[in-house]
Amino acid sequence: MKNEHFFDLAMKVIARQAADAERAELDALLASQPELRAEFARLEEDAHVAKETLPLIGAMEATVGELPAYARGRLQTKVRQTLGRPGAKQDLDRRAAWGWRWMLGLAATAAMVLFVAMPMFRTPGGPVIQVAMLDTVGTVRGADTNDTEIFKQQWKNSSFQSFDKTDLLENWETNWPAGNKTAGKVIYDRAAGEVRVTLLENGKSLQKIFVIEHDLATTVQEAGNFIREQTKR
Amino acid sequence: MNPPELHALQQGDETAWNAAFDWLWPTVFAVAQLKLHPFLPDEVEDMAIEALEEMVDKVRSIKSLDELKSLAASIAHHRAVSRLRNRFAQKRGSGKTESFDAPTDEAGHIKEPASEASPLAELEQKELAERLHQSLTQLKPPSGQILQDFFLHGLLYEEIAKKRGVAVGSVGVYLKRGLEAMRLIWGRDENTCKMR
Repeated sequence: MKNEHFFDLAMKVIARQAADAERAELDALLASQPELRAEFARLEEDAHVAKETLPLIGAMEATVGELPAYARGRLQTKVRQTLGRPGAKQDLDRRAAWGWRWMLGLAATAAMVLFVAMPMFRTPGGPVIQVAMLDTVGTVRGADTNDTEIFKQQWKNSSFQSFDKTDLLENWETNWPAGNKTAGKVIYDRAAGEVRVTLLENGKSLQKIFVIEHDLATTVQEAGNFIREQTKR
Repeated sequence: MNPPELHALQQGDETAWNAAFDWLWPTVFAVAQLKLHPFLPDEVEDMAIEALEEMVDKVRSIKSLDELKSLAASIAHHRAVSRLRNRFAQKRGSGKTESFDAPTDEAGHIKEPASEASPLAELEQKELAERLHQSLTQLKPPSGQILQDFFLHGLLYEEIAKKRGVAVGSVGVYLKRGLEAMRLIWGRDENTCKMR
C-alpha cells in the first residue's frame, strides 16, 4: 500500500499533475527513504520511453486513411520491378482458366508473325525502335489487332514482334541491332498493364516504365514523347 | 480490412499487394505524420509512399504476416527521422538561421526531432520492428490505452477511470503493469521494479 502510494505520487509528479502538497509529500518520502530515489529516477526513464514509443505503437493501430489513387500504379510498378511477375504456377492456372481462348490467341500470334517479316525501316540518322508485345495469356483477335494498330501508328517504320513466353521476350530484349548509335525497344506487357521503354545510346541504357492508367493509346503516346525527348539531341 | 497473404506478397501477386497497400497505408501515413508534420508537413504523403516502396524490397525477409505492419511502421519511422536529420543538417550547413516553422522550446530554439536521447534513435530497423510488434501484443488492454491516456493525453487518474470503466484505485495498477511491460520490451529490465 505504501509502495502503491509512492508510485502514484511519482506518476503525478512526473506527469506534472501533482498538487503542491503531493509534490511536498513525495520530496519528504525521497528524503526519508533514499533508496526510493533510484526508483523515482527509473520511473522517470520509463515515462520517457513511454512518451517516445506510445505514439508509434498507436500509429500501428491506425485504420483511417486511404492510399492516394495516383500512388497505386507507382507501387505496383515497384512490385513488378522488385518481385517480378506472378510465378509460373499462377500463369499455368490462368492459362487453364483461359484455355478456350488459347486457339484465338494462337491465331492472333500468327497474325503478329507477319509483322516479324516486315522489313525494318528507319529514318536516316534517327534511332532504331523495335516494338514487342508480351501476351502470356492470349487474347481475342479483335483486341489484339487494335493494340497492334496503336503501336504501328506510333512507330510506323518499326518492327513489331509478339511473344507469349517471358524467356523469349527477354532474349529479344537483350539482343540489340548492331552498328546503331542509338536504339530503343518498346515492350507492351499486356498482363502487367505497362509499356516499358529501353533506350541504348553509346553503350548506356535508360529504362522507363509507363503504367497504363487510362488507355493504351495515351500510354503509347507518352512513351513516344519520351523517346523523342531523349533522342532529339 | 483483412491482411493479405504473405506468400502471395512474396510472389509479387498484384491483388495481394493492392490489399497490403490499403492495409498498411493508415500505419505508414500515421507514422510519417507523427514525425514530419511539425517540420515538413508537405512531405508526409510522399514519405509514406516511399515507406511502402521500401516495404516491397523487404517483404522476402519477413517470416510471418504479423511482422508486416510493425516493419512498415519501423521503415516509416527511420525514413522520417533520416529525412528530418538531413534537412536539419542542410539547414545548419547552409548557415541559414530562419525557422523551419517547427516547434520551439521555452528559449525559442527549434526543437530538433529524434534527439540522441530517444530510446528509438539507436535501434536498427528490424529491431525496432520487433519491439513494436512485442509492444502491440504484450500491452494487454486496458494497460496500453491507459498508458496513452496518462502520458500522451495528460488525463488524470479519475478521468481515466471514468473513460475506461475501471476503479480509480486500479488506474495506477494498470499504469505500473504497462510500464513494466515496456521496460522489458525496450531493453531496460536490468532491475525489476519492486514497488508493489
